[in-house]
Amino acid sequence: MSEPTNPFVPIEGKYPTCMEMLQLILDGEVTDEQRIYFKEHMDRCMPCFKSHEVDMAIKQLVKDRCCGEGAPSDLVQEIKSKIATTD
Amino acid sequence: MEGASRKHYSEIEKQEIFDQEFLPHIHAMYNFGYRLTLDRDDAKDLVQDTYFKAFRFIESFQKGTNAKAWLFRILKNSFINDYRKKTKEPNKVDYQEVESYYNSEDVNRQITPDLRVDALKDMIGDEISNALNALDVDFRTVIILCDLEGFKYEEMAKILDIPIGTVRSRLHRARQLLKEKLSEYAKSMGYKNE
Repeated sequence: MSEPTNPFVPIEGKYPTCMEMLQLILDGEVTDEQRIYFKEHMDRCMPCFKSHEVDMAIKQLVKDRCCGEGAPSDLVQEIKSKIATTD
Repeated sequence: MEGASRKHYSEIEKQEIFDQEFLPHIHAMYNFGYRLTLDRDDAKDLVQDTYFKAFRFIESFQKGTNAKAWLFRILKNSFINDYRKKTKEPNKVDYQEVESYYNSEDVNRQITPDLRVDALKDMIGDEISNALNALDVDFRTVIILCDLEGFKYEEMAKILDIPIGTVRSRLHRARQLLKEKLSEYAKSMGYKNE
């Protein structure tokens, strides 16, 4: 079976490495064609698959656990009064 | 975003933009301020100052464009110009080193901490938050903007005033460092790094 054509665009003459592609996939900075290509690659490449799984889990954890610092309830009012007094 | 063309808004319009486009981002702004300064009072000052500036310069904001990115950019600049100067926190990241590291052939041969998903799932306390806060502020920032706030690379480049290539390399390095910290936690929790 022949390898499908790599749809990633070379930067300065070099195709991105697996790690660079993994990052682009993780952050959704790819086209559908690139995503499908790399997904097929991951089906055959255990290190890439494992790395992608861990990266996704960390990204989700950051999202779930690091947004807990909500603004104090009086902050909006303080901002509004500060603006009103300096108008 | 750069506000090349100034708008002329009526007082009512200004108030509408402020209330409907700026204020809904208050929690994300505060969290960003807190993650940058790691201090709740400083975060509050930073957010107040940002909204104050946003109102003062509202005519350089184009209604209906990305208010969140615009506000984040102001907050980041306030942090660098006012807060960082005040605390005299040195810039600890050697970017040249980061850039050459990322562009070198070694990038695929580096030792990636062997973290497992099951170890991550057991981190139900403050591990992730602490690991993130322990990173140098410039690395922390790219992770917050990307993973927490979901900004695209292009938006991040504008917020941070850096090229997209630098966004990518800084993010890559930041994630490596975060993984190293999490790997240490995993080890202390009894997971073996095979």
